[in-house]
Amino acid sequence: MTFLRTHRTLATVIAFALVYAVIKVLSILPLNNGDPLLNAYYIQLIMLAGINIVMTVSLGMVNGFTGQFSIGHAGFMAVGAYTSAMITTVWLHTSTANPWVGYPVFIVAILAGGLLAAAAGYLVGAPSLRLKGDYLAIVTLSANELIRTVIRVTEVLGGPRGLGGIPKFTTLEVVFVFTIVSVVLMRNYLFSSHGRSMKAVRDSEIAAESTGINTTRQKVFVFVFSAFFAGVSGGVFAHLLQFIHPDNFSFMKSLEYLIYLYVGGSTSISGAIVGPAIFTLLPELMRGLQKWRLVIYPLILILTMIFRTEGIMGLKEFSFILIPQRQRKEVSA
Amino acid sequence: MALLDIQHLTQFFGGLRAVSDFNIQLEHGEIVGLIGPNGAGKTTVFNVVTGVYTPTKGTIVFDGQNIVGRKTYQITQAGIARTFQNIRLFSKSSVIDNIKIAYHFRMPYGNTDAFLHTRKYWQGEQLVDDYAIDILRLFHLEGHAEDISGSLPYGAQRRLEIARALATKPKLLILDEPAAGMNPAEADQLMEMIHWLRDKFDLTILLIEHQMRVVMGVCERIKVMDFGETICEGVPEYIRNDPRVIEAYLGKGA
Repeated sequence: MTFLRTHRTLATVIAFALVYAVIKVLSILPLNNGDPLLNAYYIQLIMLAGINIVMTVSLGMVNGFTGQFSIGHAGFMAVGAYTSAMITTVWLHTSTANPWVGYPVFIVAILAGGLLAAAAGYLVGAPSLRLKGDYLAIVTLSANELIRTVIRVTEVLGGPRGLGGIPKFTTLEVVFVFTIVSVVLMRNYLFSSHGRSMKAVRDSEIAAESTGINTTRQKVFVFVFSAFFAGVSGGVFAHLLQFIHPDNFSFMKSLEYLIYLYVGGSTSISGAIVGPAIFTLLPELMRGLQKWRLVIYPLILILTMIFRTEGIMGLKEFSFILIPQRQRKEVSA
Repeated sequence: MALLDIQHLTQFFGGLRAVSDFNIQLEHGEIVGLIGPNGAGKTTVFNVVTGVYTPTKGTIVFDGQNIVGRKTYQITQAGIARTFQNIRLFSKSSVIDNIKIAYHFRMPYGNTDAFLHTRKYWQGEQLVDDYAIDILRLFHLEGHAEDISGSLPYGAQRRLEIARALATKPKLLILDEPAAGMNPAEADQLMEMIHWLRDKFDLTILLIEHQMRVVMGVCERIKVMDFGETICEGVPEYIRNDPRVIEAYLGKGA
């Protein structure tokens, strides 16, 4: 256990791997009258939860830890989803479904989607993050709708009919690897000098600037890598559903991520994991309540915001998320 | 040559002339005070020097370089650090993180090292941790290193803000009302600290202060402003007896 206390990245990987193992076992063992407890539908839901976790953690980098207010995260997801889907559908048209050809192409495609989303993030963020105040909210909201509208009218991308025939590359394993890698990378960044200056910008931009931090550059960089992870999430999402539609990425989708983030706890990575995990699965677990779930779901949201204003996790982190504290030498002077 | 040389500084806000034809030369190692009634333009001078505003007219030369038009963070990196009239700590971060943030622009690792936690990252973190704890010790804050800075008592927050400014390794430290809200005993400690800072870190210090006891006790030279104009300049003894200063600021019987 001491080893895990000093090697938290490994601990994070193990924590996720345990969750994976449990899910995998439950999806195989015939515990439910000869059928597995988790059928394909539930597995798909869990995969969506993993994608939502990466979306929410990356949104939290901007909104929770840098103190900016971005409300168009689904727009960057759309850029990534469409870019990667175009690459795999066009590229793999002739080479059929050979997994040895398929997966490298898939990886290249989702990374390309991430990069294009990052470029879009730069175009949106660079001019608006120079300004202080709520301009970013207005610009990201418009960018989200702009991206969706452009896709709607672009015939190559399927226009208003949506884009189908996307090969299914996203499996439970892909989602787990993708989620762990993304969360660990963003966790690492947060627990670094750069992460500290993100929080400094949030707490007092003018004080951050006068302690020598180029606040504009820091804000733009965080916004760009946040858009990158949203783009990659979009790619993984597209290759899970195999059909994407511009309306999948509307402002309402962005709003969902804001809800996950603020209910989970915007100033905690753990919160940005717990929020989407609970609220992706909850509506399905409440299916037995039929139409009452439409009442109970918002009621849970309202009660959380009343009794846990800072979100479910508040400022707390799971211990496997934290970087171990160095033991300092005693006072030598 | 003067460390800071401000010539003919004028600052307009729309039609309002906040500062007009302000001149000052700070020699290396001096402690200089800037006093005057509220609204005289003292904080505006600080904000112009630190690049928050670009002056309407005038030149500011620091350490041989013209710093007019530079961004605030560039001016800090050039060697001017400041504190604020109303404390501006990174209140949700820990005490030690407040100091570490001031080291960020010297940090030897980049974005990639931050994402991957490379060997360079761990070396850099060790370096900054040692650096920060040393500074906290100087200000007797090491016992609070892991506390959230917003939860510190008022006097400790003031000290932390000065410690943070110092952590940028400045040549010129400017303090905006450092004794605000302090009782006489705390103000005495502050005066001692300002002298100690200057001697230990080889600093030049410019400060705004309303507590006359502090200003008269610590400054070697004082400049008095009123309505954006400089009305008097000299050693404390001279300022205390100048009729214009008594009229505008000190009041009769001071």
